[in-house]
Amino acid sequence: MLLLAACGGGTNTSGGGLGSGDLLVGVIAPFTGADAGLGPAYYAACLPASLAINNNGGVGGRKLACKQFDTRGEPADAVPAANQMIASNSNLMVAIGCTSDEAATVAPIMDRSHLPMFCMTGQSEFNKTTLKYFHRLVPPDEFDAYAMVGSALYGPNHSAYKKFALVFGNDIGSQAFVAPATKAITALGGNVVINQPITLGASSYRTEVAAMLGTHPDVILTEALGSAGTYLKEVKQQNGSTIPFIGTSATIDPVWFKQVSDAIGIDDVLKYYSAVDLGFTFSGPGYQEFLTQLTASTSTFADAVKYKQRGSTLHLYDGVIMSALAMVATNSKDPTVYNPKIKEIANGVSGATVVNTYKAGVDALKAGKSIRFVGAGGETNFNQYNNSQQGYLLVGVDKDGNEVTNGHLTEQQTQQVINAGGG
Amino acid sequence: MNLYLAAFGFGLVSVSVIAIAAVGFTMQFGITNMINLAYGEVMIVSAYAAYYLNHAGVTIWVGLILGAVVGALFSFLLNRLLYAPFQRKGTAPIGMVIVALAASLMIANLLLPIVGFYTSSYQQDPGPVLRAGGLVLTTVQVVIIVLALLLMLSIHGLLRYTRLGKAMRATAANPTLARNCGIPTGRVIDAVWLITGALCGMAGVVAGMNSENFAVSSGAGYLITILAAAVLGGAGQPYGAMIGALIIGMITELSAAVISPEYKEVVAFGILVLVMVLRPQGLLAKRGALAAAG
Repeated sequence: MLLLAACGGGTNTSGGGLGSGDLLVGVIAPFTGADAGLGPAYYAACLPASLAINNNGGVGGRKLACKQFDTRGEPADAVPAANQMIASNSNLMVAIGCTSDEAATVAPIMDRSHLPMFCMTGQSEFNKTTLKYFHRLVPPDEFDAYAMVGSALYGPNHSAYKKFALVFGNDIGSQAFVAPATKAITALGGNVVINQPITLGASSYRTEVAAMLGTHPDVILTEALGSAGTYLKEVKQQNGSTIPFIGTSATIDPVWFKQVSDAIGIDDVLKYYSAVDLGFTFSGPGYQEFLTQLTASTSTFADAVKYKQRGSTLHLYDGVIMSALAMVATNSKDPTVYNPKIKEIANGVSGATVVNTYKAGVDALKAGKSIRFVGAGGETNFNQYNNSQQGYLLVGVDKDGNEVTNGHLTEQQTQQVINAGGG
Repeated sequence: MNLYLAAFGFGLVSVSVIAIAAVGFTMQFGITNMINLAYGEVMIVSAYAAYYLNHAGVTIWVGLILGAVVGALFSFLLNRLLYAPFQRKGTAPIGMVIVALAASLMIANLLLPIVGFYTSSYQQDPGPVLRAGGLVLTTVQVVIIVLALLLMLSIHGLLRYTRLGKAMRATAANPTLARNCGIPTGRVIDAVWLITGALCGMAGVVAGMNSENFAVSSGAGYLITILAAAVLGGAGQPYGAMIGALIIGMITELSAAVISPEYKEVVAFGILVLVMVLRPQGLLAKRGALAAAG
């Protein structure tokens, strides 16, 4: 299923180094399959970014469009999707998406084609990547695992949990949490009573749940996207009540919320569910601009506004804006020229003017200033491997599925867990 | 809780769901010679029909009936409008498989914009949890087991003791000879699509009730298990499909308890491969109800 969103009207052209004709953002992610909930969150990042850019003159007059490339969450399907995206679109400005399901296979392809990318993968193999066009605005998965352990040990409204059940999908992305979580829990005196990889998309998990309940855990740590509802419903049925469960940042998601609240009831979600998320404030001029454009995007994608507090949506929105500003700053359509500028605009250089919107960025560049873009997701601090990360919040949801901050992990607590996990 | 006994109980539920679906599927093949790869998608269409009724405030048990009706009509029309014209033109069996595959993809992709990719759940009260020894089953699960038993008995009665059932078996054995003997094979085949479609529809709703969540993408997953049960039992053999469902459903749950949930499908499908190596025709080939009119 391919959808083309041509945002902001017809094609403007301009001469010069920025070239002419429409520019394209490739949203390469799962739109079908077990992780089909991920792609729309990234598409919802592209749409407001393209509106913010197109409504302010485009990239040197070039309008931006968003196009979906479905990887089905499978490496085997992702490779042809990436090849097709690159081969059939010579006007790609940046690619966004590339989750843990497919990043390992598609990122090298995009890198060889000199296509800047912002990937939502937490796989540790990208911690020290040599791919020059790779950018990551999320921490490695193991940091999510550390934050979950921190939440279990230091989180508000409960004493430290001692007995842990690890219930993660048997896909590559979900399994990345298991080893670091186990190491941190064990080192901090906890006990992993069961590590249960589950087959995503199975019609039932009754036997798995019976086995898990037999170990009497205090808490479940989980990321089983697409299957959590079924699993937790069976926990409730067999146990007579739900037990506390802590999700990764990926569980802060409207699809996940609907599935789980349908399965166990909203009261149990409010009472037993907590999660970790990156330290977003959901405020400030960068976020307000994002929210305005996201709301305007509903004419193209009716569900867009559901992603107003989805971290990955905010990050990828920022990634698209930074890429466009890098093109403007270098006055070049050549990615070998504007790609290095992305990092400079993200981190800023000494004396850089902080800008929060695309328009402000373009204005500042026209005025001859160097800029630092602080967008919807807050400050970016790329390291030498183009990895950027922030602290963690301990969160829950309200009855409408909106994220609610319950607390923070202090720097000391965070460091303690990371050290325990060997991170 | 005795985990193995619990797994046995859960296996009964899985067996029930698979059996309802697999018997319908294998009867379609046995009598009409059509490998209906769109079966999983028809299940999903029926499941969503029940979903909308259920979310309009109607109990899911009424939704189950609607699912059966939708499944029957959808399957009937699918055959009349798509499969039968190709078969009349003499399309080769492999060609019919491709037609069915195309139908499957079309149904799934037509359904997506209507129902979305989100998972859906029925509003159902699972009822009190019944505990006996190590068995732990909800009332709904017990009802699903009883429903499956009744349906299997009904299929047995239909095939063995009714004129329609005998006509079905005759059509399955030799359609030309059956027609020459005065059996209206066209109407028999219509009846087959209606009956197996109803089973398909009920299976879709029951699968949705059983798994708590379902989505358009669930259809493909259902089909794999159904195919496995049907092939294991002997393609086209309803009793074989029942045995296939029993083996696949039980082994899946018991291996999750004995070995690891990671390997439950590996074990189940490993046994399928083993049986296919030792007995390629399946467990009940040429001995089932559809093998010969009696």
